Amino acid sequence: MKTWIAGLIVVVAALGIAGAPFAAAEPGVTDAEIVLGCSNSFSGPLAFTGEQATRFGVDLYFRAINDAGGINGRKVRTVYYDDGYKPQDAAANTKKLVEQDKIFAVIAPQGTPPVVATLDYLEENKVPLLFPFQGSPVTRGKKYVFSGMTLYDRQSRMMIDYLVGERKYKTFAVLYQDDEYGKAFLTAFEKDLGRHRLKLTATEPVKRGATDVSAQIAKLQAAKPQVTFLVLTPGPGAQALKERQKIGWTDTVMVSSGPLTDERYLALAADAAEDVEGLSLWPDPLTSDLTGVRQYREAMQKYFPKNEPNRYSLSGYFAALLFAEGAKRAGKGLTRDGVIAGLESIKGWESGILPPITIGPDHETQKQGFWVKVEKTRFKALTDWLKSE
Amino acid sequence: MRRAALVALIVLAVAWPRLASSYLVFLASLVLVNAIVAIGLNLLSGYTHQLSFGHAGFLAIGAYTTALLGLHAGGLPAPLALLGAGVVTATVGVALGLPCLRLEGLYLTMATLAFGFVVTEAILNLDALTHGADGLRVPAARLGPWALTTDAARYYLVVAVAALLVVAALNLARMRVGRALLAIRESEIAAQASGVPVATWKTLAFALSAFYTGVAGGLFAWLIGTLSPDAFDVFLSVDFVVMIIVGGLGSVPGSIVGAAVVTLLNDVLAGFQNYRPLIFGSVLIGCMLFMPGGIASVWRRQTAP
Repeated sequence: MKTWIAGLIVVVAALGIAGAPFAAAEPGVTDAEIVLGCSNSFSGPLAFTGEQATRFGVDLYFRAINDAGGINGRKVRTVYYDDGYKPQDAAANTKKLVEQDKIFAVIAPQGTPPVVATLDYLEENKVPLLFPFQGSPVTRGKKYVFSGMTLYDRQSRMMIDYLVGERKYKTFAVLYQDDEYGKAFLTAFEKDLGRHRLKLTATEPVKRGATDVSAQIAKLQAAKPQVTFLVLTPGPGAQALKERQKIGWTDTVMVSSGPLTDERYLALAADAAEDVEGLSLWPDPLTSDLTGVRQYREAMQKYFPKNEPNRYSLSGYFAALLFAEGAKRAGKGLTRDGVIAGLESIKGWESGILPPITIGPDHETQKQGFWVKVEKTRFKALTDWLKSE
Repeated sequence: MRRAALVALIVLAVAWPRLASSYLVFLASLVLVNAIVAIGLNLLSGYTHQLSFGHAGFLAIGAYTTALLGLHAGGLPAPLALLGAGVVTATVGVALGLPCLRLEGLYLTMATLAFGFVVTEAILNLDALTHGADGLRVPAARLGPWALTTDAARYYLVVAVAALLVVAALNLARMRVGRALLAIRESEIAAQASGVPVATWKTLAFALSAFYTGVAGGLFAWLIGTLSPDAFDVFLSVDFVVMIIVGGLGSVPGSIVGAAVVTLLNDVLAGFQNYRPLIFGSVLIGCMLFMPGGIASVWRRQTAP
């Protein structure tokens, strides 16, 4: 009995000494290669956006730049793991990426819950978390985190300032998803209307997973708002538009918010989506004449001819483009801190996709959008780029 | 021979954080947490043949209880917080068990399935308490003056709790409770005829199963650090059922092996992206075809004289 306990102690102690960790060179970078990766949804509710943003977006740009000689001579390789929108899987995947695959940085993960589950770990280990595809402001104020999508509170400010300032509307109502996404917009709308000394006329919640919104639409119509915001997911969003068409409620401007503002989702409501307005964060991937968007379409035609251009792959493509710019600025001796400094130094930079980008110490890469209106199932731009500063 | 294997296992378990990267330490913790759930589910399903598709719900209740205890009763030592999580979850288990006793087979399964959905809905709607879909930050586990903030520290806590619960489960089978549950499994009518109060024991099985899962939920909360209803969807409940079927119904070691297989498979397949569910499903069908009694029964056949 005693001998095996003693033996156990010796073995454990020996392992303790042998297993001391050792420091290595900058992870994820060799003279020939940079390794990036992320945990994303390849199954589950957001599988389509996840796959488009990574394999057809981030990878699209990196394939193009690798074929053109890479970033300062280094080719970029990417590693992706599926988390199916589960936070626990995202945590495991991200640790695996950092410790086993030794990635240099996390690029373009998706969804607030999975991203939040990895925030502290990445910050503690000084691994850059670049351009997550989510809009909650939880990512603010971190040294190694750069936000991607224009954050919800900024989107709200641009929408209210435009509708009150330019269009002179005075009464507003909101139909919102009763969760974090819906409430984030609701509180932001209230705050931004408050700056103009206005209040919301009516608000109606929709429970997650609900399919019938007729009662809410009827109540909102009774409140007679000039503008009705839809902060919903695609299914209930389409239901709300169809219901409005059915009861012939025409004297309000329907405005979609957040990720709902996409032709693919509004198309679910067919002709009931006609005249819906909203804030678009990206130029039209199919028709825009901007040089960056044209290059994106050409690359898509060359590498993935069967995949139709869309905003998700465009956002992933842009994330990779922005990383490449930061890495170029960091120079030949690429380090994580160098990329952070490189990205922070970006001022008035022309991407060819979005208006000139300036990233300051607030680490917010996107702060803009422009106003659109649905005409025959496609968005028509009503304004130039709006700013949220 | 058995003692040597046990010693080797203990050495490996204790030395693991020294040998492996923090990712593998985290993964080992996750395996053990899932193993606790699988053992708990096996107490219910393996012994009394009541299949539950609602254990993600119990896990969520344990996890949120622990998080809320941490937020509102700060400084509560980890064992007490876990006990609290277990007791709260077990109470819910009894409340669910009482009406469900009248149901059998498929209908019971339906009821537990619905329970899982009710829990996620409740989390979303009680947002004053749970922050709804926003998610909840979980304060680190505390043991006296220490906060367990590293993967290794959390791992040791998980190992200690898991060891305790495994020993308890192994002994349970040899106790009056275990014999009663086994009797119910073999034949409810025969058990009742021999004076076993079937209804009481079945309720107890439900409570016990929920208790195990609630404790696992507490460990899960600390391990992940943030909670959101997305973590506890119906597929997680299905994963738990798969663990005990792959491992072997009614076997404690089988539950552990099943939990390890499913958790590691899930993790390894993450790299296959879109194909993950497809491969995962195929592997499971293979397991069912070639090892109908689970890994435990294959092991028994191999080692039998």
